[in-house]
Amino acid sequence: MTWRVTPLALSLLTVVGWIVSLAVLTARADLLVVAVPLALGLATLARRAALPDYTLVRRFSRDRLLEGESVTVEVEVTARSTIPLMELLDPLTEEGAVITGKPRAVLAIPQGETARWSYEIRYPIRGIHDLGVVIARVHDRWGVRTWERRHVEQSRIRVHPRTAPLRSLPRPLRTQTSVGDYVSPLFGEGIEPGDIREFVPGDRVRQVNWRASLRLGTLYVTQHHRERNADVVLMLDTLAQVGTPLFTTLDAGVRAASSLAAAYLARKDRVGLVIYGGLIDWVRPGSGPSHHHRLADSLLRADVVFTYVAKDLKLVPPRVLPARAFVIALTPLLDRRFTQAVLDLIARGFDVAVLVVSPVDLVRASLGPAPIDQLACRLWTLERRARLADLRRHGLPVVEWDPATSLEAAVAGLDRRRHRAVLTR
Amino acid sequence: MRWMAPLAFAVVLFALTLRTAFIEPLIVIGVAALALVVVGLLLPWRWPFVAAACLFLTGHALALWGMDAPVDVPGGLGFGLALLFLLHSAHAGRAMRGASVGARVLREQIVGWVRFAVVALLAAMLAMGLAAPLSGVLPAALAPLLAAASALGVVTAVILAARRVGR
Repeated sequence: MTWRVTPLALSLLTVVGWIVSLAVLTARADLLVVAVPLALGLATLARRAALPDYTLVRRFSRDRLLEGESVTVEVEVTARSTIPLMELLDPLTEEGAVITGKPRAVLAIPQGETARWSYEIRYPIRGIHDLGVVIARVHDRWGVRTWERRHVEQSRIRVHPRTAPLRSLPRPLRTQTSVGDYVSPLFGEGIEPGDIREFVPGDRVRQVNWRASLRLGTLYVTQHHRERNADVVLMLDTLAQVGTPLFTTLDAGVRAASSLAAAYLARKDRVGLVIYGGLIDWVRPGSGPSHHHRLADSLLRADVVFTYVAKDLKLVPPRVLPARAFVIALTPLLDRRFTQAVLDLIARGFDVAVLVVSPVDLVRASLGPAPIDQLACRLWTLERRARLADLRRHGLPVVEWDPATSLEAAVAGLDRRRHRAVLTR
Repeated sequence: MRWMAPLAFAVVLFALTLRTAFIEPLIVIGVAALALVVVGLLLPWRWPFVAAACLFLTGHALALWGMDAPVDVPGGLGFGLALLFLLHSAHAGRAMRGASVGARVLREQIVGWVRFAVVALLAAMLAMGLAAPLSGVLPAALAPLLAAASALGVVTAVILAARRVGR
């Protein structure tokens, strides 16, 4: 803890100097009496003051929240020695907006008592926000001396992307071996009837199809389709982003990825993640609510890291991109290296669908209504349409999604495009 | 508290000056000083308060000198306390700018001011009690030397304080 003499002491000295000058100029010694209280205030500096003794505890109402939600921060100061005046400051990050209370406080705490200060911060956009620093400045009784300390502790708030509920999802073409919600073409245990065949020893009596057996004169059993799950790998393009500082194509892509992950996990599928950018990051496919937290944490860190190096998907371990996995690529199609990576996946036999986050409307929102800007946006739209048509000709199921519209409609369109692309292939 | 206390002390200073001499030049000086206090409250600067304090002092000194008023120790002490509290409340108010202020802050400030006023009054009375016998003992030739030593002490203190001033 460092102590300093405050500017108030300098002000007092200036005024005392002025009093002495006036006393000399006017030859009025009684003016010096005016300087006595000020000199007494300054004289407290000569006294060796004890360090202020207090404890500061900081609590958060929660450490994980969704975009747009708020967290209440409560600071509790317990004074072991009297604190005449204490300034507390929370140097907030730019992303957070204080909605209730203030990020600065002034407290006076008698010895042995506790004072509390709370405020509420809203985070409109995903991210990991460090709230570990509080600056405390204690003034002495006469404000001529202050002690300052930075209280640093590990406290982070994780703001997860908001997920949109998705009812209809693109169906994976291939299923895995675990039990799930998809009807497999293979026969086995299940509830979806598929075919009938003659009874063989070992079949259960309850599998006997009595209607067919009576009609055909011999025992027949009903075969059922297996219900299996699928491996879904979300591949997020972080090579480039455009948009306003508070909302970019990457933010929209992260929201879409989070929504898709939540929806597929709810269907008992295993969901993996590949963040494809300047730095490649991944999460192995897994299932369950805890895995959603793992995916969400990884999505929080997704950011654009600029690089000229063309990243190769060979870097991604096979366990992250398992055979028979369904890959959903989320991209604004701003960097050709990502398109190349997707075409590479198709060439390796993966079932791939591409959800293109449209950057045009985000850019249009950040531009003014100038005709030249609008014309540029229209030309860009035409250019992107031609590019999407080109990708579709390569057999790639591509759907463009404007982040201002519903994700569910775009995802439904993706399923239709995929069936068409499969038929074309 | 951020507005009321400095304004109240500024008004007290103005009234104390006018009590000594109710003349137009002093009213002008007092109004200018009040305006500076308002400027200091509105803007995040410290110098308007110091300038206002110096203006109030100038007005008070002119009033005493112009009117050839008799020595008034309690009046001078009151003026000094008001000056100190003006600067102190401005300093505390600056810390409160844009902050949520705890319930006890105002009470603690007032208690502190009252306690200090009592201590200053007692100190002044003690000093007056000691000054009378000392004035008879000390030779008049030592007075300029004492004044010079005091001035040197003030300058040294200013330099030391300026070197450790925070914000």
